[in-house]
Amino acid sequence: MGQLVQRQSGAADAALAATAAPQQYLTFSLAGEMFAVAILNVKEIIEFGNLTEIPMTPPFIRGVINLRGAVVPVIDLASRFGGKPASVARRTCIVIVELEEDDVKHDIGVMVDAVSEVLEVARSDIEPPPAFGARIRADFISGMGKINGKFVIILNVAKALSASEIAQLTKLGDPDNASEASA
Amino acid sequence: MDELTSVFIQESREQLAEMEAGLLVLEQSPDDPGNGELINAIFRAAHTVKGASGVVECHFIENFMHKVENVLDRLRNGEIPVSGGLASLLLKCGDHLTTLIGVLEAGLPEPAPADQATGDALLAELSERYLASAAAGDTAVSLRDSESGEVMASGGGIVVTDSWHISVRFGRDVLRGGMDPLSFLRFLGSLGEILAIETISDAMPAAAEMDPESCYLGFEIRLQTRASKADIERVFDFVREDCELRILPPNSKLTDYLKLIEALPEDDMRLGEILVRSGALTQAELDEGLNAQRDEAPLASADNPPHIGEILVDNKVVQKELVDAAVGKQSRIQDKKAVEARLIRVQADKLDQLIDLVGEMVIAGASANLLARRSGKAELVESTSVLSRLVESIRDAALQLRMVQIGETFNRFNRVVRDVAKELGKEIDLVINGADTELDKSVVEKIGDPLMHLVRNSVDHGIEAASVRAQNGKNVRGQIELNAFHDSGSIVIQVRDDGGGLPKSKIRSKAIERGLIQAEQSLSDQDVINLIFEPGFSTADQVTNISGRGVGMDVVRRNIQSLRGSIDVSSEEGIGTTFTIRLPLTLAIIDGFLVGVGRAAYVIPLDMVVECIELDSHGVDRDFLNLRGEVLPFIRLRALFELPDDAPPRENVVVVHYGGQKAGIVVDQLMGEFQTVIKPLSSMFSHLRGIGGSTILGTGDVALILDVQALVQRNSRIEEKTLNQASLARAS
Repeated sequence: MGQLVQRQSGAADAALAATAAPQQYLTFSLAGEMFAVAILNVKEIIEFGNLTEIPMTPPFIRGVINLRGAVVPVIDLASRFGGKPASVARRTCIVIVELEEDDVKHDIGVMVDAVSEVLEVARSDIEPPPAFGARIRADFISGMGKINGKFVIILNVAKALSASEIAQLTKLGDPDNASEASA
Repeated sequence: MDELTSVFIQESREQLAEMEAGLLVLEQSPDDPGNGELINAIFRAAHTVKGASGVVECHFIENFMHKVENVLDRLRNGEIPVSGGLASLLLKCGDHLTTLIGVLEAGLPEPAPADQATGDALLAELSERYLASAAAGDTAVSLRDSESGEVMASGGGIVVTDSWHISVRFGRDVLRGGMDPLSFLRFLGSLGEILAIETISDAMPAAAEMDPESCYLGFEIRLQTRASKADIERVFDFVREDCELRILPPNSKLTDYLKLIEALPEDDMRLGEILVRSGALTQAELDEGLNAQRDEAPLASADNPPHIGEILVDNKVVQKELVDAAVGKQSRIQDKKAVEARLIRVQADKLDQLIDLVGEMVIAGASANLLARRSGKAELVESTSVLSRLVESIRDAALQLRMVQIGETFNRFNRVVRDVAKELGKEIDLVINGADTELDKSVVEKIGDPLMHLVRNSVDHGIEAASVRAQNGKNVRGQIELNAFHDSGSIVIQVRDDGGGLPKSKIRSKAIERGLIQAEQSLSDQDVINLIFEPGFSTADQVTNISGRGVGMDVVRRNIQSLRGSIDVSSEEGIGTTFTIRLPLTLAIIDGFLVGVGRAAYVIPLDMVVECIELDSHGVDRDFLNLRGEVLPFIRLRALFELPDDAPPRENVVVVHYGGQKAGIVVDQLMGEFQTVIKPLSSMFSHLRGIGGSTILGTGDVALILDVQALVQRNSRIEEKTLNQASLARAS
């Protein structure tokens, strides 16, 4: 843990180290599949609950939660990837991811079926994403990590959770705006 | 950047604004006999900037302002006439000063060559047109001296050194008090660089009488530092009572040095030499000063000891009027100080932090209140309700701190209108109403750019050319009005012009050309006008610098919407156009009315709520009801938000008013008033209309704040769309 804290404290160092040293990843399951995100993006993991739905938004935006006074949106990744909306089960949690977009830092919650573990993956064990076949948009994948002989999709959270793209989707999916466009 | 410099930058901007306001009036009415006070005010502002720039050692500003001040001085003394041309030139100088302040703020050592060239050109023009005649004039004023640097130094003006001069004589008891003079000098050295130091041992008695425990020493020091006078004085704090300390700032007047020499106990000539040796004065300066003193001495000795000021006046080094003016100015400055003393400068982020904390307190208070009520203990409920009343007062007081008058923002447009109108050869008056209307500082800051765009548009496209106006029987001078007033919990800002109005047919054809509407589509006049807010209507695609021209009105609308505001336009061809901006008073905390729909809670700004009534669901099929003989259309939140569950048997209608209209909002539950701390929603909801933000309830849950106006618009558009589809389906 001490090591982890150290890494988070020096983001610049971390970026340097990322090219050489093995990186740590948080793995979680989503609709029966394993995914991973770089641990540097993960702020905390909290229990699923007390969600306030936001009307007039696409289904993959599950709503917002109160994270110690800050209002944080929660995204259903399974639905974002074009699948069915995730159902809430006993092990469902929200992974709070910190992202920087347009020089502004913001937190986004990601709803996952279950969090499994933090793993170290060597650079050499990460393959480039396949051209097709993953059934997920290629730019959402930052690489394929080899863990215990199996491939795990390492997500490019900056792309998959891009606020500006989600905002555009919100706009397009809105019947009101759609009417404006067709008028 | 050190604190001194940042204060300088801020104050200079204020002075500059004052100067600009004065110059604009001057330009309008150069012949007004009452201009004297105005010119004085302009001069004072310029002088303050110059003086302060010297203190912060920003020499490029100081040099520039020196010339400007000289011209203003001549203007003040009536040596050159007031003219519109001079005023415009001085306005340009003001602009250049803004650039220079920007350079200082950016921390650059000197302005970019292009800026430098602009400044030089302005100075050259000033010198040529307004200072050159001074050299030909008969009075030996300091202005002429300033033209040739050498003379100025020996005149009455400034001794050009960039270092402080410190004279210190330590008291006899310093050593006994446990202080070592040397340590003070060392500490002084830590402030900056000691360029020269001379030990003065004149007070040292003969060896036989000398007390080894007494200190007889004094020092003359030249110090180069960025520290302030107070900082230097602080070095000697410990021996303040016990020593004689004199500090001359850089570029002090020669007379100040002379005074120093006089005041010190040692022989004048000897001290003078020391000053020369330490480099504070040149020999020429010293001779000049001392000679002047000696010449005057016999004359004046009859009655009074010579007064430096008088010497200078007699020598024509300084004009009598100047001295009088300086005295008058000092008293005025004191008056102004007295007013300023009641104001405190506070950094904006400290205020923001306070507001944030108050917001958290409001939320925490709401949760305490809730728990107290649940516990059912009467005393606890009572004490928390007292507490929440206090919190409410604190909230109001804290928000009040951030309220500023909009006048300052409005006044900026005097200049904009003047400049743009001049450029286009139009004559336009700007009328400002409601300048004392207050609104949150964070709103004021963000409204400047959209307003700028609207005003420029009005000048550029709104007001017709003078010839066209004359043809149409209008006053040749166009008029633009900026109005501000409060209206049901929001502030309304209007930009109104008496120009040609928006050309509907042109807008229509352009919209068709750009594919925004179909050629055969029929639109009401208002709908056509509203097309100017559509993205893609304007020709430019850059969305960044909206203060420039050619950027679309959609950017203006978006900026205003991001402040939870709205903009409307009304226009009549041939009569004029009015833009009406409606903004919330504050972006931080509002009084809200909490309602429940399904499991979720929503907040309606309390200022908009008129009344609440029960929805009589018998035979209600269409979405309007009879409110005491009035037709009140309403929207059903449940349907609009597409909530899956069924409505409860009893529903309520919240009657709201906004922008002169009334509407009903159908909700399940009424939950009462609620102090609402506005938490912004993530940028991913930036396109979401109808939800203005979020807040946190006492239970810790998030509630959404409704943007009533946007909801109503959305509802009517969706209704229109379904109707259209229905009629299309029937037609096919």
